[in-house]
Amino acid sequence: MKNKIKSFMRSILWSYSPASEREAADSTARNFLLHWFPAKIATRSISFSYSMVLGTIILALFTILTVTGLVLMFLYVPSVGHAYWSIKDLEFVIPYGWFIRDLHRVAAQLMVATVFIHLMRVFLTGAYKQSTTVVGSYRPLNWWIGLALLLVTMMLSYTGYLLPWDQLALWAITIGDHIALSAPLVGPAISKILIGGTIIDQNTLIRWYVAHVFFLPLIIFMLILWHMWRIRKDGGLAAVEALGTERIQQDKVVAKGKTYSLMGIVQGITPTITQYRVRGESVNASPYVTRRILVIFVFVTAITMALAFYIKAPLEQPANLMWTPNPAKAPWYFLWLQELVADTTIRIKGFTISGGFVGGIIIPTVLLLFAAAWPLLDKSTDAAIGVWFHKSRRLQNTAFLAVVAVIVILIYVGAVMRGPYWHLYMPWQAWIKMPTRF
Amino acid sequence: MPDNIQEQKDTEQQISRRRFLSYLGGGLVVGGLLLQGFAALRSLFPKVLYEPPKKFKVGMPSDFPEGVRFLPEHRLFIIRNDDRFHAISAICTHLGCTVNLAQYSPPKDYTSASGKEVSETFEFHCPCHGSKYRENGNVYAGPAPLPLPWFKLYLAPDGQIVADTNTTVNHDFRLKV
Repeated sequence: MKNKIKSFMRSILWSYSPASEREAADSTARNFLLHWFPAKIATRSISFSYSMVLGTIILALFTILTVTGLVLMFLYVPSVGHAYWSIKDLEFVIPYGWFIRDLHRVAAQLMVATVFIHLMRVFLTGAYKQSTTVVGSYRPLNWWIGLALLLVTMMLSYTGYLLPWDQLALWAITIGDHIALSAPLVGPAISKILIGGTIIDQNTLIRWYVAHVFFLPLIIFMLILWHMWRIRKDGGLAAVEALGTERIQQDKVVAKGKTYSLMGIVQGITPTITQYRVRGESVNASPYVTRRILVIFVFVTAITMALAFYIKAPLEQPANLMWTPNPAKAPWYFLWLQELVADTTIRIKGFTISGGFVGGIIIPTVLLLFAAAWPLLDKSTDAAIGVWFHKSRRLQNTAFLAVVAVIVILIYVGAVMRGPYWHLYMPWQAWIKMPTRF
Repeated sequence: MPDNIQEQKDTEQQISRRRFLSYLGGGLVVGGLLLQGFAALRSLFPKVLYEPPKKFKVGMPSDFPEGVRFLPEHRLFIIRNDDRFHAISAICTHLGCTVNLAQYSPPKDYTSASGKEVSETFEFHCPCHGSKYRENGNVYAGPAPLPLPWFKLYLAPDGQIVADTNTTVNHDFRLKV
């Protein structure tokens, strides 16, 4: 009886207990959810010190965002007259509304940060590099998909930031719209498509809302799937590239059975199976990878929930075009751009180029183009693929870290050292008092 | 292909039926997609804007005190100098924030670009990125690329001042009442 209960509980809670290595490997092919994974995975590939599991953390955060976002869609009204008050209701009336909103915001901010750290990890390990010897993989493609994912993540953050329709939202759109307007020739057309008129109003809100809840999530979801599929196509994480592959040949007796693969139809022969397997130690993806993913999901959810209790999502006064908050600041991950647009107006003998165009469009575009071209420009050895701080890439790693440092410093300056009227204040200096309401 | 079926071949004067039909089909697909794409894109550029008008009455001349008055709902400054009026936009030319009015008493003295000693009673300061404008809207600090535009003012038949934010004017413009 005791055994019966035990096996019943086991069948509900955890039915998976393969009798052999072979059975474990087979289960990944048979199970719909498991077939994303390879049957076997190199231990080097799942080492924490190599990848720091950043991709899985991002996926966990994205899942939290999708679930909380769906709940928020029932509670938020995308109209100029109601948007602000539906957020007020979320904060003060709807049971646990504040918690769902804070969870969504904390997860979003963590996602932006983790996506950027992930990009740093991939650069510093040279994981975007195409090997000159291995055929059938093309790692630069996944780097480009990753850059697109970074952009879409930023766009999702930006569009989400606008929906509360408070002062923060309104002035963020105003600045974004004027950055678009500062582009020569196409500026006015882009601005018109972004805000749907000449002033920021209902047309703008509904456009950003649809982008935030439908178009951008759809795009990011497809890009995420492509990103993961490419890892499989490239033969796993770049860390395994150094291990090399070995060729295994074995004869396989095909048993008669119901299957839709070619093996099931061909009978009476013993085909020879040739495999190329990564050298070195490897483990079954199920349960070694699946278990780890579950643990990461639990950890990320727990940390996000804990942070959501302490970090409150701000809600400023209702959107008011008549009065700009002083200082008006973008969220932290855009502050380096705000610092740039404030500093980069170029004046040469009466001829002026707006900082909005230089700092808001040219510099980010150049950075992005550089990042995109880098896999093609990087001529370091194959030995540098999938290795942290390889000595042949010392110069480019230093240059990359310098760019990152500049961005971090600009964010710090924008966040801490800019007071009313965007004056520069040292951290120990007091800001002049400014009225906080109109 | 069996011998008794002869495929029509393209010649110099005419193309085969098969090729014609495949061009027709392909063309319809491409044409349909282009048309739908164009319709979807065009629909996002509104034909009618339900926005406040760009020409509006701001009040009787006697409503305005000597000096500068901010009209927040229009993001506009009306400046009165005895019987003469002019209007300066309150929208920063850098990235569109509403500039704040900084008033000075006693007046602030400065040397203009042409070396003249000038004194002014007010300035415009942008809270977003720190652009600063003189009394006449010219930039003297910060990232703003252009001076604040001046807008045309005229009198309506009922005696009210009308501001026309579609029409910019030179710095010598004054509405004399």
